[in-house]
Order: sequence, then structure tokens, then C-alpha cells
Amino acid sequence: MADLALKVSGLTKSYGNKVVLDDLSFTASMNDFSVICGKPGNGKSVLVRTIMGLEPVDSGSIIVRGQDVAKASAGERNIGYVPQSFALYPHYSVLENIEYPLVLSKASDATKKESVERVAELLRIKDLLGKKPEQLSGGQKQRVAIARGLAKATDVYVLDDPLVGLDFKLRERLIDDLRKTQEELKVSFVYMTSDPLEALSLAKTVMILAQGKIVQQDSLDLVYDEPNSIASMNSLGFPEANILPAELSGTTIKTILGSIKVKTDSSSSKVVAGIRPEGFVVGKDANSFNCKVSLMENLGSEFAVYFTIDNTDLVTVVSRTDAQALSKLQAGSVDISVKPDAVVLFDANSGKRIGQGVSHV
Amino acid sequence: MAETIFKPKRKSGPIKFATLGAWGISILFFLPVAWIISTAFKPKGSIVVSPPVFFFKPTLSNITEALSFDNTLSYFTHSIVYSFGSVIIAILVSYLAAYSFSRYKPAGTDFLMFLLLSTRFVPAAAFVVPYFQLFNLLKLKDSYIGLIAFYAMFSIPFSVWILKGFLDGISQRFDETGLVYGASRWHIMFKVILPQVKPGLVASFVFNILFVWNEFLFNFQLGGAKTFGIPVGLFTGSTKGGAIDWAYVASIGTLYVMPLVIVIYAFQKYLLVGLTFGTVRGEV
Repeated sequence: MADLALKVSGLTKSYGNKVVLDDLSFTASMNDFSVICGKPGNGKSVLVRTIMGLEPVDSGSIIVRGQDVAKASAGERNIGYVPQSFALYPHYSVLENIEYPLVLSKASDATKKESVERVAELLRIKDLLGKKPEQLSGGQKQRVAIARGLAKATDVYVLDDPLVGLDFKLRERLIDDLRKTQEELKVSFVYMTSDPLEALSLAKTVMILAQGKIVQQDSLDLVYDEPNSIASMNSLGFPEANILPAELSGTTIKTILGSIKVKTDSSSSKVVAGIRPEGFVVGKDANSFNCKVSLMENLGSEFAVYFTIDNTDLVTVVSRTDAQALSKLQAGSVDISVKPDAVVLFDANSGKRIGQGVSHV
Repeated sequence: MAETIFKPKRKSGPIKFATLGAWGISILFFLPVAWIISTAFKPKGSIVVSPPVFFFKPTLSNITEALSFDNTLSYFTHSIVYSFGSVIIAILVSYLAAYSFSRYKPAGTDFLMFLLLSTRFVPAAAFVVPYFQLFNLLKLKDSYIGLIAFYAMFSIPFSVWILKGFLDGISQRFDETGLVYGASRWHIMFKVILPQVKPGLVASFVFNILFVWNEFLFNFQLGGAKTFGIPVGLFTGSTKGGAIDWAYVASIGTLYVMPLVIVIYAFQKYLLVGLTFGTVRGEV
């Protein structure tokens, strides 16, 4: 018994000329919360559908618990599933909906009762069991859908963007519930999302899906701190990372934010610099630039500050408690410098990471 | 002032007139039915008289007399057997076809759907003679099997159309969720999806039963003593003895409309949704 819950390798799927999944590979470990994060239109739905057996693959293998199920029917794969739309059966009560997978697997009454109680407890929907789906609010429906997905006694669960379209507060609560649920069940969750914030708050392991490939898979911190490609840096984090054109000569890059000494083995001159929003310092110093503030977005504990240098739009975040910086920003014009070690260097052609900033020149 | 317009007050003039008008028109349309039903209960002497009699002592003698004729009860039995038999079969077949069209979308679905309905483009009378010959050849004349097959065939195209509209409105996520949880296709079709298209089933049931129940021409041509239904019975029975037997027409007519009235009344709320062909959809 491998401790790999799911191993997908070389998965390819195209519709006509359009390649949706392009030699895609990743692994999900047992007892792990793996999040696949990709922007809409990068093949997320198709990936879910192929894993679940709702869509045949062109080539590649899908190994669940050590067995290749790429040719198996959806029902044979024994994967728990929470669909993106609730798809609660309107003619069944909440209870009947939740126990539906168990009824299909011909579980005993005792097992059914126990499982329903367990998931109803986990998701705090015990008082809803007698109701019909139409009597529930959006958040309650989603809870019931998740409960139904989890009621099936298995060890690999795929959750397809289950929180999409829910209001902010509800998402926070459900995110919390999902984390706890996974920890209590000690099973493998493979969670698809297009929301980088959701990925950041849920993932133990994160995979970045871009253009039909998993471009990076690693622990959350590693992927966030050391993105291996532009696509990876772009997909994770909010507000989105700043991507700037730059010129490399020797070990120095020239950007609109000044020259920065970098550590790289690359010799190509056309490169791209990526800087996360938190990679800036507000305040005048030797390396700062005067910029125009175009918009300040209140995110609660911090502000997303959009500013312009040389007609290029950039974004940074400033903590709400940083009164000094905020008062300067409010004036509409401010001095900002970049932290050199926050600069990640990518090859302009391949989009791959080739180096990291070291210091100002 | 504006808000009072939208509050229907009992005494406000225009609304009262509108209500009266609506009732008036409805009653006007109902008059022939009322005449048939009232005639069924009139004493023989006051049926065809001038001026018409509006108040009379109701009697059951017309109905009991009509029912006492040799063939009357068998007409009813025949009608019920071939109407319900054919429509139930038609709906079952149509549901399977509509599900396939809706979910598997075979190449040229739109054209196939059009082709299916095209059998109803030609007036039924054009088919009478060929069918008569066919039924004779296949020895299906005056048999339930023949009539049920014929009426089912006639009912299927329209039912497929209605049901496909409803099925298209039911998200495929329901099917897929079922498949993932290990349900068979049959289970999904009949336990998961079927209950959700009830209004469509009722609508196609009612439309088809109205058609088959009232169909005269083919029953007359393809049927026989063992399968003649009420419409044929009404036609042949009404002129018994030379003159038109109004008491018979009214009595049988009254009994004849009852099953339909009950069916439609019972399914009214589904029918309303059914008439929109599934275009009024619930949220998934």
C-alpha cells in the first residue's frame, strides 16, 4: 500500500485541436490536503472530470491507491466527490441526499446512520437533516453537498471548487471546517480552486495548474517563496504578483525600479522580474522612486495600493497599522523602493525561474 | 393614488367588470359542455323542446338506459385499455429516447428531432388507407396490440419533444454525481432524473391521452367490434332507430368526458409547468 493516494502521470486530453490537458502529472499523498490552484480556463474542470471518470483521457495514467483506473468507470474508482454545483437531488431530503452514496454501496443501516451522524456533526448540519434542499440557503446547500461527498467511506476525496460563489464570511467558516474535517478523517483531499486566497488558507501541498500542466508542486511555503515559473508566481497570491520586463547583463538587471544585482547562471539578456506585492518598502531612501498612487483598496487588515512608475502599473500591500506609510500614500504621491531579495528572475522565453535578486547596485 | 390601483378592492368598478367579463367568457365556452351534461339528466320529454327548459327534475334514467345497451360498457373498456395502454407505453419509450437525445447527443440530434416530429406534418387521413391495408395484411385489425402500437407510435414524437425540453433543463451534474457515487445508468434515469421531470411526464401524458381518447378515424378504420371505443360508439349509437337519440348522445358524452376532467383537474399544477415545455426551470 503506497502512501500515495493519487498519482497522475502524462495525462493528455484534447478537444479537436485544442489541447486542454498537456502531459499533466502530479501526486497527492495520503493524509494530505493538496490544493490544485489554477486560473479559470487552464483545464481545471477537465482535470477533475478525467480523474473522476466522467471524461475519457487521450493518454496517461490515473493511479488511485496504486491501481491504474484510467479505463475504469466512474463508480469503480471509489473516489469521494464534491461537485462544483451543489447538484443536491431536489426530491430527496437532506438526510436522503447525504446517505445516497451509502445506499448505492448497499451499506447497512447502522453504517448509514453512523456515517450520516459523523458528517452532519462535522459540518454542523444536524438540524437540517429533515429539510428539502429547496428550503436551504446557499451556504447550507454547500455544506450538505460536502457532507454527501464525505459520507462515502473512502480515503481519497476530490473537491471541485466547492466554495465558489459563496459569500466571504461563509467561505472563511467552510475553509476552517474543511481543514478540520481533513485532519480528523486522516484522508487525502484533492481540492481544486481558482482562488489563490483559498489555496493559501487550505493547502498543505499546492500544485499550480497553468495551460493544462502542473507547473509546480510542493509545500505551500516553498511554492509561494520560490515560484519556479511566471505562471506559478502569477497563480498564487493576492493581489497578483508584479511582472516586469528587465534586461540582464552579467549579474545585474535593469528595470524601471532601478538596477539590481542578481544571482543567476543565465546569460540571456531578455528576462522578466517578478515581485510579490509585499516586496516593496514605502519611504524615501537611496533606491526609492517617486510614484503616483492610483488606487487604494481596503482589504481589511491591509490595503492593496496600486501605483504607477513610468506608465507601468504595480501593486503593493501596506498594513493597516502602518500609519506613517498610509498618511504618505493618502497624499497621492509616494516614494517606494523594491526589496532586492524579493525579486525573482525568470527567462522571458521559457518563463522558467533563472535567478533571484541580491542587492541594489 | 397609484398604489390603490393595484390593490383589488371588492367594490372597485373596473376590476369588478374585468372579473365579470372573464367569468362571462369562460361560461360562454363552457355552455356546450353544460348543455351536454344537463341534457343527460333531463327527462326525455324536455330534451328537444322550444323554448328550452332550464329547470327540471333531474333523472338518471337516460344514463341507465344508455348503459343498458349491449355495447356501451365494452366501448368504455376498449377506450380505457387502448388509450391508457398506448400512452403509458409511449411515455416510457419517449422518456428513454428523450434521455438519450438529451444526454448522449448523437450526431445530428437536432435533425433527428425534426425528423421525428415530421411524422405529424401530414394529415392523419392520408394514412388511413395504407394503414388499413397494412393492418389487414399483418392481421392486426380489431386487435388491442395493433391499436396500442398505432396510438403509441402517434404519441411518441410529441412526447419526446416535451420530455427532451425538460431533460435539457436538468443539469447533467445530477447524472455525473450519481455515476461517481456508483449508480448505474438505469438507476440515474429512473431514480434520480425521472422524479425531476414529473411535470413533463404529466404534460405529455395529458396531451396524448386527450388525443387518443378523442381519436375517431383510426379506431373506426383499424378497430372492430372487439376494440371500438366510445367515439365510434357515440357515432354509431346516436342514430339508432333513424332519428338522433339526444338522450344517448348526452348520457354517453357526459360519462365520456368525466375521466379526462378528473385527470386534468388532478394534474392541473403540473400541466401549467408542462405547457411551458420545461422552459421555466428551477435552480440546480
